[in-house]
Amino acid sequence: AHDVKTVGRLGGGDRDGKMSEIKKKIQSILPGGDWNPLYDTSHLPPESSDVVIVGGGVLGLSVAYWLKKLEKPRGAIRVLVVERDHTYSRASTVLSVGGIRQQFSVPENVQLSLFSIDFLRNINEYLAVADDPPLDIQFNPSGYLLLASEKGAAIMENNVKVQRQEGAKVCLMSPEQLRNKFPWINTEGVALASYGMEHEGWFDPWCLLQGLRRKVQSMGVLFCRGEVTRFMSSSNLMKTASGEEVNLKRIHEVHVKIDQSLEYQPVECAIVINAAGAWSGQVAELAGIGKGPPGTLQGTKLPVELRKRYVYLWHCPQGPGLETPFVIDPSGTYFRREGLGHNYLGGCSPTEEEEPDPGNLEVDHDFFQDRVWPPLAQRVPAFETLKVRSAWAGYYDYNTFDQNGVVGPHPLVINMYFATGFSGHGLQQAPAVGRAVAEMVLEGHFQTINLSSFLFSRFYSGEKVQEHNII
Amino acid sequence: MLKIIIPTAMLMPMTWLSKPNMIWINSTTYSLLISLISLPYLNQLGDNSLNLSLLFFSDSLSAPLLVLTTWLLPLMLMASQSHLSKETLARKKLYITMLIILQLLLIMTFTATELIMFYILFEATLIPTLIIITRWGNQTERLNAGLYFLFYTLMGSLPLLVALLYIQNTTGTLNFLIIQYWAKPISATWSNIFLWLACMMAFMVKMPLYGLHLWLPKAHVEAPIAGSMVLAAVLLKLGGYGMMRITILLNPMTNQMAYPFMMLSLWGMVMTSSICLRQTDLKSLIAYSSVSHMALVIVAVLIQTPWSYMGATALMIAHGLTSSMLFCLANSNYERVHSRTMILARGLQTILPLMAAWWLLVSLANLALPPTINLIGELFVVMASFSWSNMTIVLMGTNIIITALYTLYMLTTTQRGKYTHHIKNINPSFTRENALMALHLLPLLLLSLNPKIVLG
Repeated sequence: AHDVKTVGRLGGGDRDGKMSEIKKKIQSILPGGDWNPLYDTSHLPPESSDVVIVGGGVLGLSVAYWLKKLEKPRGAIRVLVVERDHTYSRASTVLSVGGIRQQFSVPENVQLSLFSIDFLRNINEYLAVADDPPLDIQFNPSGYLLLASEKGAAIMENNVKVQRQEGAKVCLMSPEQLRNKFPWINTEGVALASYGMEHEGWFDPWCLLQGLRRKVQSMGVLFCRGEVTRFMSSSNLMKTASGEEVNLKRIHEVHVKIDQSLEYQPVECAIVINAAGAWSGQVAELAGIGKGPPGTLQGTKLPVELRKRYVYLWHCPQGPGLETPFVIDPSGTYFRREGLGHNYLGGCSPTEEEEPDPGNLEVDHDFFQDRVWPPLAQRVPAFETLKVRSAWAGYYDYNTFDQNGVVGPHPLVINMYFATGFSGHGLQQAPAVGRAVAEMVLEGHFQTINLSSFLFSRFYSGEKVQEHNII
Repeated sequence: MLKIIIPTAMLMPMTWLSKPNMIWINSTTYSLLISLISLPYLNQLGDNSLNLSLLFFSDSLSAPLLVLTTWLLPLMLMASQSHLSKETLARKKLYITMLIILQLLLIMTFTATELIMFYILFEATLIPTLIIITRWGNQTERLNAGLYFLFYTLMGSLPLLVALLYIQNTTGTLNFLIIQYWAKPISATWSNIFLWLACMMAFMVKMPLYGLHLWLPKAHVEAPIAGSMVLAAVLLKLGGYGMMRITILLNPMTNQMAYPFMMLSLWGMVMTSSICLRQTDLKSLIAYSSVSHMALVIVAVLIQTPWSYMGATALMIAHGLTSSMLFCLANSNYERVHSRTMILARGLQTILPLMAAWWLLVSLANLALPPTINLIGELFVVMASFSWSNMTIVLMGTNIIITALYTLYMLTTTQRGKYTHHIKNINPSFTRENALMALHLLPLLLLSLNPKIVLG
């Protein structure tokens, strides 16, 4: 027998190999094996899906979660989430500072944050999965402290009135009250401060992302690691009620290209949701949004682009203690406590002229020295001696029009819905925005929170929904 | 009979030799002409059958089914035009050829005299259907669906071959006309029990009976539109037709042997109707409703009274037309919205009002509204089963109610309500689609004027 084997190896080469191959084939054909007469397609997304969500960050997953939660017959809609980077190395969600506040000036923003904090507080009722441990999002309810100078005091009072109307618990503090409550603050130049007493603070975004991911997977949503490269659409020339002709498009196929390969899979779909975060503008261009003469609805692009923001982590042993809120200085600098060892996170939004190049996520440490540290040290004298431990950079899905989110369907590409453009406060509003988009898809109108001022058509009609004092 | 078979066979070379822009026109018109040729067969004289040759005959049971089959081919061709428009020319011609071969085999099946020839053609119809499902179906699950379809039917029908050969040996002939008069009553020995089971199981699987119905939703959902139409309208009726023919040989044992199958059918009828209430996929709902209607036919055939046979025949024709039309409507939805989920395409009545009219009419037919032949069929079956056993009326009544429930649920979910934003720009109904629906509905409505043609 041995001789036969060696002879076989010399001559025919792989008699052994063939035998083991045949054995493997027989084993896979027997019941229980997963033999497929066609080539193996397990790494490809399915050939058709009712809803395709482009982008698997917190907004995309939130829309997926609410779609599966709000659908009337259970298991009716098939959802596919396409995310090209499963390590989330450049996603805005996980690079975020993780704060949540209700101190906005636009009432819808306040409502969104109020629902989101209710979601986060009861996260283990919403996102419970059988046999899995409960989530601990490490919510620190320390509140936000917004400081206003003389010029901004009137605006701040107005804002607080709006917030109180919506149900947020915010109090206004004078400089003496500030000094009493937070002795480490230098109130020079501060005329008024608004302090959120409840439902504000910061949490762990990675935990929310993983919790959502786990839950939507248990609800039957399919994930695919790939990049959307093409939308196949069909268009119809139709007349509006006033007689003018519009070209309405509908996307009927999404080409998903698999990572590091040329292979792509056309996914037949009925609805596409653009939750691609900072890259939503590119995805919208793929769908043909913005291709037309400027100034018309066809020519209105989705004004979401990448903007890089730096976050620095420093250690200051004499710094403020446990009751430190998320402080936002009138100059735009912000910081918050991180953990229990006198570490702090903070940064500053650069002005238009100093916008860093968003091509990579490299950190500019000089920015800290020049723009962040001086106002910090002025506001909190203890921060004159600090040591920067680390820093990172993340992207904002920056809406250049009015720095607030875009939600709802596009008027011309009628089956693309947006859930993007939140310019730095997307994470904190994600649960509520997900629910709003799911309501729009399933019912056709917003049911709980009315976000009709956040629709895409405002870019064409020019109605800005601008925040006063936003980071 | 040759005057139908030869033209159908010649449709194939006509398809292959047609000019590219004429293939659909040619095949549809000529198949329509062939269906008009088959209409005179409906004029059956009395109780006898029209014996046309040694091989083929037609009587008042097979004539309506024959007409249904030939009527369906032009409709299938019309329905497939849009989803095949992007294929290459050779593929289109191949698809049409598959349909024509299937048609040919079905015509010969329904008019066969010899039971062995019936069996061979019965099995042969599986092949073109399998090719249509697996090659032109929509999703990757179609392989699984094709496998289920093929093997369920094969497993059921292999014993039938053995039984037929045995009967040929003992009785000397399997020619249907002779066997009617030569059939001896069989006693209830064990071997006769197996003989009964062997004869009936093939048709039970094809009908399908409730416990053996798993292949049907899969096959229907994954098949392309023509595949679904022919499956629902004709292939299921093969089972009913076969059962009606073969029970002549199996008296009087059917009285005892039928009990488990009656129970399964009666219970399955209510069960599958209830499943329809929970379905989210439109095609799946229509597939389960097919199972439910066919369960009624099984009950009717097993009772074996003249009225139940009349009800079964009427129900088969009515269900063929109704189910096929429902699949066409579901397909017209799918081609526009690219999704089969019902809740994603709502409020179509405001956008496509004429299509909503077709939806309404076919839903009314599906829930057996008088005076359609659906009602006549169901009513005869209910009456016959009531006379067989008083208790069945409860289940039958429940089934009628649940049928009405899910049909109206399907109608209101797809047509009524506010339309969703993302279906605003769907194409309006094509003339081809409207013609398709009208051609389905016209026979159904005309038959309600003269149902005795289909009452067998």
